[in-house]
Amino acid sequence: MYQSINRRFGGRLRGYLGLALAVILVSACATAPVAPTAALVEARDAIASAEQAGARQHAGAELDEAQQKLVAAEEAVSNERMAEAERLAREAAVVAELASARTESAKAAEINREMGRSADALDEEMKRTGDRP
Amino acid sequence: MSTTTTQQVKRGTTLFALVFSSLMITACATAPDSPEGASEARNMLTTLQNDPNLADRARVEIREAEAAVRVAEEPLPKDKAALGEHRVYMADQKVAIAEARAATRYAEAQREQLGEQRDAARLDARTREVGRARDEASKARSDAEAARTSKEEGAAAASRQAAEYQSQIDALQAEVTDRGLVLTLGDVLFSTGSAELQGGAYRTLDKLVTFLNEYPERRVQIEGHTDNVGSVEYNQELSRERAESVSHYLAEQEIASQRLSTSGIGMGQPVASNDSASGRQQNRRVEIIIENPSRR
Repeated sequence: MYQSINRRFGGRLRGYLGLALAVILVSACATAPVAPTAALVEARDAIASAEQAGARQHAGAELDEAQQKLVAAEEAVSNERMAEAERLAREAAVVAELASARTESAKAAEINREMGRSADALDEEMKRTGDRP
Repeated sequence: MSTTTTQQVKRGTTLFALVFSSLMITACATAPDSPEGASEARNMLTTLQNDPNLADRARVEIREAEAAVRVAEEPLPKDKAALGEHRVYMADQKVAIAEARAATRYAEAQREQLGEQRDAARLDARTREVGRARDEASKARSDAEAARTSKEEGAAAASRQAAEYQSQIDALQAEVTDRGLVLTLGDVLFSTGSAELQGGAYRTLDKLVTFLNEYPERRVQIEGHTDNVGSVEYNQELSRERAESVSHYLAEQEIASQRLSTSGIGMGQPVASNDSASGRQQNRRVEIIIENPSRR
């Protein structure tokens, strides 16, 4: 009886181990070919929002790079080089984010220049009116 | 035999230690380096962190960049060069993003300052304008006041002058005519048949001198007149001499001779009938005509 319990326990343990091994094997098999969908989506979103912000005008080089990286990532996916695809997708997303950031800063600088010009104009005008007797 | 074995063992141990230590050393030497470019990313990040205008303006982004740089700096074996490259790329971008965001916020901060400056400038301009308007208004007011006072003063002065003039004329007992003020020295002020002035004449003439000094632009015409007693030539001569005698006296009183002109009219312009003694007396006279000032 004691032996039978022991044997039954051992059998169950062996079953669990087998299951765990199978899960590990399956997941190992699964991670290799699965496309980095989340990273690709993130990259596409980042590019879209950069374009919306006006990156084409203010940070064209960065936007181009992001698009090229995204294309490369998609190619890597179709070639089933998923690790590379994920890296490329992440790089596309980060460079798109840079495009957005540079667009914003370019716009901010432009506004400042504009304000500076109008302030100068105001100064000029005040000086003129100040000169008036 | 046993000693040789021990020696062999010892030698073996030494050899092993040597090999092990050399292995250790080579292991150290060939230990995987940080990927290429990681140090550049670090430098960029350090520059950003040391920029007083930018460092505090993108704390979150700089922290993310810092993390990315740290990942990029992790040593990787040679066969993972692609991963290293990726990490360096990510770090570079993260640093650049942090820099751009910081620059944006810096520009915004500057803009606020710029706006404040502009507001201050506007306020200043407005204040100055108001001040100027106020100054102008008060100046206009004071100008108007000044004009009024000067007008009043002018009027007062004019009337004062007129009054004074009148009083001078009154003092001279002169007559206001079209030719000017006419002052008549009567016959009694001359010795009979002579051009010599009598004492009473001087009082009148001194008043005239005062008047002429008061109105230095006025010229004086001195005319001698007589009655019809005696010859025309005689009367002419006498009238001229009397006129000249007056002129001479005035010149002595330092009235410029250019202002004085004399003429002997003789008996030609009587003011009364020569038929009566009193009429003849009236006709014997010297008229001093103070010309009206020439109008500009």
